Amino acid sequence: MQKIDKIVLKETKYIAVWVLIFSVLMQAVFLVIGQWDYTVLLGNLLSATVSLANFLAMGITVQKAVQKEEKEAKQTMKASGMIRTFGMFIVLLVGVLLPQCFHLLTLIIPLIFPRIAVAIRPLWDKQKPSTKEGSENET
Amino acid sequence: MLELAIGIILGCCALGAGMAMIAGIGPGIGEGNAVAKACEAIGRQPESKGAVTSTMLFGCVIAETTGLYALVIAILLIFVAPGRLVDILMTTLGK
Repeated sequence: MQKIDKIVLKETKYIAVWVLIFSVLMQAVFLVIGQWDYTVLLGNLLSATVSLANFLAMGITVQKAVQKEEKEAKQTMKASGMIRTFGMFIVLLVGVLLPQCFHLLTLIIPLIFPRIAVAIRPLWDKQKPSTKEGSENET
Repeated sequence: MLELAIGIILGCCALGAGMAMIAGIGPGIGEGNAVAKACEAIGRQPESKGAVTSTMLFGCVIAETTGLYALVIAILLIFVAPGRLVDILMTTLGK
């Protein structure tokens, strides 16, 4: 089995932290509006796990693809994208078909948490300019 | 007549779900192009592999979101919308 690249692990950890923060926020919102029950928690857990697994799988594919030729890398990413989407479809299908176990909204919302985490990344990086400048000076 | 109306609702929902998944083609092509260009960049400057991979990963997440939206819309159209629409139809007809 191929070892996971340090960069992929680092970025996955970053995404995982933000997914956790957003999940807690979402649970808090459901608690405040009085809609919280175990289905909200289960839906959130399933969806957050799926979105994280999707990100990690994408990272591993990218790691493998950059070592290949241009054309081969393209094909690898396309195939991986298709398989990951299909996997997510299956998991979401199970979630939607079991409304007594998973809340529909909490099943859908965490899927876009990684996207939000990426959107706020520039703000996060702005807060530590010293390390960036340091690395630039080194080069 | 009622059966026809329900049939049209179900058919349109299935058609809509299928059309929504057309958007699923985009992320695959986009990610493929991004990775191909990254390969080219790493080939030219192997020392920038870390920075390129990191930036590309986030780019791929952004590209993937479009496909996710499509997937969610398709699932809602297949499993949630038909029931709700048939309920609305029944309420309107008073049945």
